[in-house]
Amino acid sequence: MPLAAYLVLAALVFVIGLFGVLTRRNAVGILLGIELMLNAVNINLVAFARFRADLAGLVFTLFTIAITVAEVAVGLAIVIVIFRVRRTIEADHLDLLRG
Amino acid sequence: MRLGSPELALLVLALPFVSFLALALIRPLRRSGRPAALVSILAMAGALGAAAALTWQAIPVARDVNPSVLWSWLPADGGPMASVGVWVDGMAMQMCVLVTLISLLVQIYSWSYLADEPPASLGRYYAYHSLFAFSMLGLVLSPGFLQMFVFWELVGLCSYLLIGYWYDRPSAARAAVKAFWITKLGDLGFVAGIVMLWAATGTFDFWPLFQAAQAGTLQVDGLATIMFLIYLGAVGKSAQFPLHIWLPDAMEGPTPVSALIHAATMVTAGVYMVARAYPLFALVPSVLMLIAWVGAFTALLAATMACVERDIKRVLAYSTVSQLGYMMAANGAGAPGAAFQHLTTHGVFKALLFLGAGIVIHHFHTNDVFRMGGLFRQRPWVGGAFLVATLALAGVWPLPGFFSKEAVLGAVLDAHLSVPFLMLIATSFLTAFYMFRVVFLTFFGHAHAEHHEHPAPPIAMDAVCRALAVLTLALGLRAALTGHHAEGPAWLPWISLAWAAAGIVLAWTVYQARAVDPARLSAALAPIDILARRRYFLDAIFAGAYRFLLLGLSQVIGWVDRYVVDGVLNALSAGALRAGDTLRRLQTGRAQDYVYGVALGVLLLLVWAQLG
Amino acid sequence: MTEIVGFCVAAVVLVGASLAVVLTPNLFHAVLWLAAALVATGGIFLLLDSPFLFAVQLLLYAGGVVTIVVFAIMLTERLVGASIRQTSRFVFNGAVLAAAVFAAIMGFVLQGGAVARPIAGGDQLRELGRALAGPFGVPLQLLGVLLVIALLGALYFARAED
Repeated sequence: MPLAAYLVLAALVFVIGLFGVLTRRNAVGILLGIELMLNAVNINLVAFARFRADLAGLVFTLFTIAITVAEVAVGLAIVIVIFRVRRTIEADHLDLLRG
Repeated sequence: MRLGSPELALLVLALPFVSFLALALIRPLRRSGRPAALVSILAMAGALGAAAALTWQAIPVARDVNPSVLWSWLPADGGPMASVGVWVDGMAMQMCVLVTLISLLVQIYSWSYLADEPPASLGRYYAYHSLFAFSMLGLVLSPGFLQMFVFWELVGLCSYLLIGYWYDRPSAARAAVKAFWITKLGDLGFVAGIVMLWAATGTFDFWPLFQAAQAGTLQVDGLATIMFLIYLGAVGKSAQFPLHIWLPDAMEGPTPVSALIHAATMVTAGVYMVARAYPLFALVPSVLMLIAWVGAFTALLAATMACVERDIKRVLAYSTVSQLGYMMAANGAGAPGAAFQHLTTHGVFKALLFLGAGIVIHHFHTNDVFRMGGLFRQRPWVGGAFLVATLALAGVWPLPGFFSKEAVLGAVLDAHLSVPFLMLIATSFLTAFYMFRVVFLTFFGHAHAEHHEHPAPPIAMDAVCRALAVLTLALGLRAALTGHHAEGPAWLPWISLAWAAAGIVLAWTVYQARAVDPARLSAALAPIDILARRRYFLDAIFAGAYRFLLLGLSQVIGWVDRYVVDGVLNALSAGALRAGDTLRRLQTGRAQDYVYGVALGVLLLLVWAQLG
Repeated sequence: MTEIVGFCVAAVVLVGASLAVVLTPNLFHAVLWLAAALVATGGIFLLLDSPFLFAVQLLLYAGGVVTIVVFAIMLTERLVGASIRQTSRFVFNGAVLAAAVFAAIMGFVLQGGAVARPIAGGDQLRELGRALAGPFGVPLQLLGVLLVIALLGALYFARAED
């Protein structure tokens, strides 16, 4: 398969993830969308690593995965604390930064 | 021409100034009252001595010698922009003597007249007097328009301060402000004219201007307009129509102040200025014609108003306006010498009239002539002095008023100004009439039943009046004996005497012999009578103009300021606030909306990168 | 040949599962669909000659992340049953924006010419290990620090309320 196919696939998944981030009301739902976007990025990295015979892409992917996991853990911890305090995790209700 | 010594002139200026500084700055001295008065009187006496010495030691010089001494004030490249100095010719020296003499006599008179004043106020009064003497002398000795203007304004300030001396009286405060504003109106023209003259010629000083004027080398466009504007200053200061309305109200001040400022010195500044600047006025005959007509008209108008006044001081005030009209008419007729002569003689006998009126008021405790009577029997000396002054004012031989009036009338006739001449002749009839009306009502007739104690007038007041009466007689006799003849036709003195006599006779008929009822007389002259009593509605016109024009204009400007100027600013700020409020709605606080923004930004970046 | 088939299968599963993740009203189902998508991604890695990453993906992502998310959902349990109709007003806008971004990215992707696929190299794992210990040693250490901090952070949030 040509490189372009993998890139198009990654772009598609990325855009779907973006749609999810934009439209989901639930905070956890938004995090799921973010997961998809990060996933797409990984596909991109590995595809380029394969087609350029460059190991850096794989190393990058490893790092990305590790960081993503950490980020999900902390993010969900925050979501839980918010739920404890405000009894809601609807994104529309979390507008304390409102100007 | 006689030239005086500049050092003595400066001494004449310095003495009252030092007295003013001492009284103004040393508070305990001023608040002590009598000692302050003494300081001022002594300084004045010294100034009088210096002025007399100045006159005696003057040396005759040729006509084309510069009588002024200048010091640079505002230096600039190519000669100073403005200078100060003294101009000591015959006219200036005579004025110095007049000013210092009358000031001294008035200050001595005030010692008794204001004896009941609290010491602090008395000190303030004498401080003002010193300042006034200094200002008037500075005006008289000015070698140029700029210095004259500075002292002009100072004199106006002193007038305000002295008219409003009893500042807690609303009428006095109003009168002081009115005097200030009306004269200020004239001063607007004065300063405009001076500046325009300077712009055209590059100098304020008299000597170069007069030299150029007499040599015919003065090239100024619109000289008539400039000289007319300068004349406006004299209109205000010397109470010519229509800016004469402040003078009668200025009688709210103490009587000695009226004698000094509104008879002999300050109001004559306008006449003096026109006489001094005569070489320039001579170049614009149209303005001179105007000056003569306005002067004659003012004389007649004021005389009619004096005929219906009850307040003795107001009669004298209108009389002053009338005589100032005479002087200005002489100026306009091309005889500044005659004008100056009338200025000096009038200064003496009008001061006497005012000071005598002061004694009369002091005696009767009222200003109303219809509540007076029979004073001559009780105080023959006061009556005699007052009578001397009245005869001088009416222009009876051999008193000085006769000679100076003759000079004025002769000059007006020489200039072929027939209508002004007739107006002035009519005025002399009215002058005799109203002055003797006052004399008959005050000094003769029946004393009204008043149960007051009438002590003798204080020595100071009495002595000053006698001194002035003697001076008046002396001036007259000197003029009579030196054969001082005016240049007029031979029939002139007889005609003027005849008219004066007619006026006296009419006054006697109406007010002494009671042969004619005054009411019937006023009814016969009803239209003039009503107008005169209402002061020809001039006060109302000025007040209306002020309310309508000035206040209207300020309301318009206020509206513009509030709605246009402020409106623009308010609109701008409201717009900014509204924009802020609108933009604020972007900050929803919801993270998803911000992601939306980021995504939009990324999209735009991608598109831009694609295109670029 | 097999590669093309494999790619199509994995691609279809991946895209389908992704769409399901963002469109299912039931959040729990969404998480399960996410697991499917992550596994499909692992398949893609395999097709790209990275077995190690395939293993890592399954372990960490499909295993760890999904587990965490499931736990989080259970702890915030009010959310089951939220219908998609209550999704924010940006549904249409979001779709349009997403499509636009896709189009923009496509513009770039399709510009590039064909890239030759090099022959698969030797022992990938050994190379990877050497890289991590060598040139990428410092980032590795920093990653360790990051994980410690994340752990501490999560512990902090998880403490009992007092």
